[in-house]
Amino acid sequence: MVRGEPPKYFLQFFRWFCHPDLMLSIEGDLMELYRERERKSGKTKADIQFIFDVMLLFRPGIIRPAEGHRNLNSYGMFKSYFTIGWRNLSKNKGLFAINVTGLAMGIATCLIIMLFVVDELSFDRYNAKADQIVRVTLKGKVNGEIIKEAVTPAPVGPTLKTEFPEVETFTRLRSDRAPKLTVNNTTYRKIRVAFVDANFFDVFTLQFAKGDPATALAEPNTIVITEDQAEKFFGGDDPINKMIDFNNTGEQYRITGILKNVPSNSHFHFGLFGSLTGIPHAKENSWLESNYFSYLVLSEGTNHQNLESKMPGIIKKYMGPQVAQLGMSFEKFTQNGNEIGLFIQPLTDIHLHSDTQNSELEPGGDIKSVYIFTAVALFMLLIACINFMNLSTAGATKRNKEIGVKKVLGTNRSQLVQQFLTESFISTAVAMLLAAVLVGISLPLFNQLSGKALEVNFLFSPKVLTALVLLMLLITMLAGSYPAFFLSSVRPIAALKNKVANGGQGKGIRSVLVVFQFIISAGLIFSIIIVNQQMSYIQNKEIGYDRDQLIVLRESNLLGNNENAFMNQIMSDPRVESVTMSAFIPAGPTDQNMTGVYRGQEHESFRRTILYHVDDQYIPTMGMSLIKGRNFSKLAGIDSLNVIINETSAKTFGLGDNPLGEILTLQTDNSGGKKSMTVIGVVKDFHFRSMHETIAPLVMINRRYGGLIIRTKTTEIAELLTNIEDKWKAFHVEEPFSYALLDELYNETYLAEQKMGNILKIFGVLTIFVACLGLFGLVTFTAEQRIKEIGIRKVLGANISEIVSLLSRDMIVLVGISFLVAFPLANYLMNMWLQDFAYKIDIQWWVYAVAGIITLVIAFFTMSFKTIKSALANPVNSLRSE
Amino acid sequence: MKKYQLGEFEEVVMLTVGILHLEAYGVSIKKEIESRLKRGVSVGALQTALKRLEDKGYLKSHEGEATEERAGRPKKYFQITALGKRAMEHMKSTRDELWSAIPKVALNLKIVGS
Repeated sequence: MVRGEPPKYFLQFFRWFCHPDLMLSIEGDLMELYRERERKSGKTKADIQFIFDVMLLFRPGIIRPAEGHRNLNSYGMFKSYFTIGWRNLSKNKGLFAINVTGLAMGIATCLIIMLFVVDELSFDRYNAKADQIVRVTLKGKVNGEIIKEAVTPAPVGPTLKTEFPEVETFTRLRSDRAPKLTVNNTTYRKIRVAFVDANFFDVFTLQFAKGDPATALAEPNTIVITEDQAEKFFGGDDPINKMIDFNNTGEQYRITGILKNVPSNSHFHFGLFGSLTGIPHAKENSWLESNYFSYLVLSEGTNHQNLESKMPGIIKKYMGPQVAQLGMSFEKFTQNGNEIGLFIQPLTDIHLHSDTQNSELEPGGDIKSVYIFTAVALFMLLIACINFMNLSTAGATKRNKEIGVKKVLGTNRSQLVQQFLTESFISTAVAMLLAAVLVGISLPLFNQLSGKALEVNFLFSPKVLTALVLLMLLITMLAGSYPAFFLSSVRPIAALKNKVANGGQGKGIRSVLVVFQFIISAGLIFSIIIVNQQMSYIQNKEIGYDRDQLIVLRESNLLGNNENAFMNQIMSDPRVESVTMSAFIPAGPTDQNMTGVYRGQEHESFRRTILYHVDDQYIPTMGMSLIKGRNFSKLAGIDSLNVIINETSAKTFGLGDNPLGEILTLQTDNSGGKKSMTVIGVVKDFHFRSMHETIAPLVMINRRYGGLIIRTKTTEIAELLTNIEDKWKAFHVEEPFSYALLDELYNETYLAEQKMGNILKIFGVLTIFVACLGLFGLVTFTAEQRIKEIGIRKVLGANISEIVSLLSRDMIVLVGISFLVAFPLANYLMNMWLQDFAYKIDIQWWVYAVAGIITLVIAFFTMSFKTIKSALANPVNSLRSE
Repeated sequence: MKKYQLGEFEEVVMLTVGILHLEAYGVSIKKEIESRLKRGVSVGALQTALKRLEDKGYLKSHEGEATEERAGRPKKYFQITALGKRAMEHMKSTRDELWSAIPKVALNLKIVGS
């Protein structure tokens, strides 16, 4: 007897479509018939009839229902979880609102900070070869002065490429900060131009809107401009092949390409990229002048340290002979304690890890703040989750009866856990939506504070959305797990008797949570006080000159020969006290005009020193004070070989207590020219750089050099400025009138610190708010638990203040404990922050006291909402049910 | 009167289940109908009818033995319920009433005439 099998696929098809209840018996029938037919008329016929039967079975009564019938049970269960969850949440609207708000604020803060951190970390990653590109930096020590430059000599790039096979290619960038351009008969200033090698766009992945990246800068006198710049210069016209005049050099540049704007997360932002091809100094073989940012593309897998270790050889081979030409052999040069080295800096480190801030194209970020912010974000999230746990637990204790009844009716523990997790999921989902709204609202504010241009759109990219959903599930688990597992473990009898599990073990955990939150809150309050103190110290420190009432006209040198006339006109105004002609403003990183200086003939004391060009009015106008000697004379020429130095110079060059009459030698150019000058005065040290740096030696020579600084004696500054502007216009200069107030320039120097202070304050307030929510939840929890005790105490005659203190005492102790950790920790961190300042405050004992008292008051105030309410409650209500 | 709904094929199936008494399951019902009425019955049509009758409550089923012949699948035996019995009786009595209402003349004449 043949025992074949019916056609497999049709059998599978039948199994797939058939209603599960009918499947087995019908399949049995089919098989029975198949066997019989196979016996009677052979396999083929049996097969065909089998197929017919299956096809005819494919009809409404037999096909399984579309709805997934197997999931039916758990679907219903989940529906019930949601319904009950929603009912519970809407029953306790107040608690729900507090809970969701706290969580939403935590999530929103975390999201915003994450946006910030991701943006910071993404710098320069847009380049296709980001991991291969490095920048060469120049670091060393020359005559005691530390050199840290991101710019290198012009031949560094070409030399490294020819010397080392692992350097695939190089490209250089030279920044021209103050060109004067004429386009379409209009003159522009303050447009930053970069001159770059022709292969620049091979190395950096900048998108072209028009033109060919490979050839755009191949010819001399060609230039590529960005879309924004094109719009500014030409409006809607096509800029290709239009000309730009560089007035300083008299060269004309032809536009050969249009770039899409440089991405915001780039370490440079230029509007114009001119070609270095054909510029003579780019080809010069001078190793003693650093002007070029040199970028190398290394072949994949190149070891940076390995490459760096070969650099000293390069310095010796190429820079050595040129140093020797200055009159000192390279060996002698290094023996004197001087060193110069080339170093490799990965492109992606430039923004956050650069140690060459003084010569950067743009101020970079700070990896420390990235770490701090990430920590704050995680803490915020953690605190919010902890609160959520506390508040949910507190709210859920009211549901003991529900849990008891459920358990008696046969609910198992996993179902209760699911119930609580579902509720936590609902809250998290609502909080998430609220957080998204909060982020949308507060992002502009944050951008303003941090100086970033973060966009909300970023949140809606698929990657981020996935991350958010995962985050939501994570928070659900984190925040919901404790109430879920703690409450589901309650014994039904205890629950039904409404004997809340006193949570012996739970209390310990919750106490730790409160301590943890207040460590962060108290620490933040402490830090905020310190940052504020330091900022006001900077604002109020004796800086050695009077920065109020000073107007700076930086561009008055554009008047050329008319500058004197202009100056005299201003001086004749009765509202003006004095005017000085000098471009040297002692605020922030304004002037880096340095020259080599040594005492008499002692070459050993050589030191690069800040050089100010000032006139006789400078010291009185700035309100600086001479502590020895005299000021420059009004009469021209008398003081051309005399200098005034600051106190630090006197010390640095070892001029002793009476430096007057001592001789200093100043280099006048790079090719060895020098002048001997006599010290005629010592000016009291004044701060010309930020408080992060100690005062450096400074030398003033008597030479008029561009720019006016005006000391006024009026409060009507605006009116005075209008008058000055009118005078300016009378000279028919093409440049519009512009001015600055020295006070503002000074404050701009500390913008980063101010931003940090503001951000810290905002996060401080948020953290404290969220921590208070947590405390509130905990007190609510305790008050619910001890409601009968309170009732009995009241009946026996306890008064309100006794009950309030009864409820608060434990918490206050916890807050006190948190100080023990918070203050040393914050003290350590703030000391680290203060290390960056050369001039800083000492952390005083009263800061601890003030931070502690503020924290305690806030904590007590938060708790009072609940404690007073519990204390005022009528004991009858709580005792009646016993 | 729509009290008992029973289609023609359904009635045949009901009757056959009755005939087979305790031995009524898919294949046996199919064979019984085929041999008695000389007409082909597809598994699909039969199973649909059986399911519908069961849903209406005229038939009840229980699972029986699984044989090797059926590749280990159980038989599903059908029995007529009390409701089913009433429905069949109702059908029969309505038919009988109708039969008896036909004038004898008409029938006889026709018979003769044909």
